[in-house]
Amino acid sequence: MTAAIQFPVDIELEEQFTEKAQQRHAAKFGMWCWLVTELLLFAALFLAATVLRVMYPQSVSAAARHLKFWIGATNTAVLICSSLTMSGAIMASRQGLQKLMVRCMLATAALGGLFLLLKGYEYYEDYDEHMMPFLSWRPYALAHQPASTLFVDDYFVATGLHGVHLLTGVSIVLVMTWQASREGYLSRHQNRIEILGLYWHFIDLIWIIVFPVLYVVNR
Amino acid sequence: MSARNKPQSTTPEFRRAMRVPFIVFMALMALLGSNVLLGILHFKYAGFVEAGITGVMVLTVLLFSMELTKEPPIIRFFGALSFLWVGIMFTMTLVDYMTR
Repeated sequence: MTAAIQFPVDIELEEQFTEKAQQRHAAKFGMWCWLVTELLLFAALFLAATVLRVMYPQSVSAAARHLKFWIGATNTAVLICSSLTMSGAIMASRQGLQKLMVRCMLATAALGGLFLLLKGYEYYEDYDEHMMPFLSWRPYALAHQPASTLFVDDYFVATGLHGVHLLTGVSIVLVMTWQASREGYLSRHQNRIEILGLYWHFIDLIWIIVFPVLYVVNR
Repeated sequence: MSARNKPQSTTPEFRRAMRVPFIVFMALMALLGSNVLLGILHFKYAGFVEAGITGVMVLTVLLFSMELTKEPPIIRFFGALSFLWVGIMFTMTLVDYMTR
């Protein structure tokens, strides 16, 4: 087996910072500030689902039984796997293992793609079962339970918003994989992998909440 | 197979560093399994157990995957404060709806 090639790991100091540690700290802090606002955005959607559950338990249960529980569970497992590969990319980047880092990032993007494929299939099934109340030209399967419309709309907004975040994440991972495969990347921009990792783990965290709040609790 | 095409090996340091992420992965999978089981088996207080399991999963991701424990105090404060705010929002809203 060939020996692992370890490249020097560092970051390029930007002019507005006095030292590299300050630059690393500012980048992480900035990402955390943004993730906090994202958490609050998603929390409002989770709260809406919980309030609907309290107010209209029967309608919400009827709607939740139409959700594809097993696809939701599989997607949760897929994202947990992608978090492991992203952690692999971060650890490899810290040790200058560029090839291994690139492979881990590609695996992360592939798992993200698999999630989106499964989600797309789930939406197709929802369409097929007339579970899209916002489509005016298509009759809604639970039209006799008007309150269920609110829950189903909330489900589509929450999962759709998460899907947009994941699609963005996959795109960023692919672009950064392309950049990171160049020689000398880790000696100039290692902290970018760490920041990307934070975003990816956050997407995983949000889905870890989506699954029980929408799929499990209301069944 | 030429030396160039052989897969690049990892290092002992990398394998050591991956111990925590791997334990986190196993723990999250086990907790997901518990949540799936609760989705199949219905009992009176299943919702509260599910909420507890989800809380543990979220904490695991925050503390170990996102490495909040290794961050400086200001970032830890921000992370904790965001969940505190979400907690206040949930508590106040649900107290209102559940006592009507």
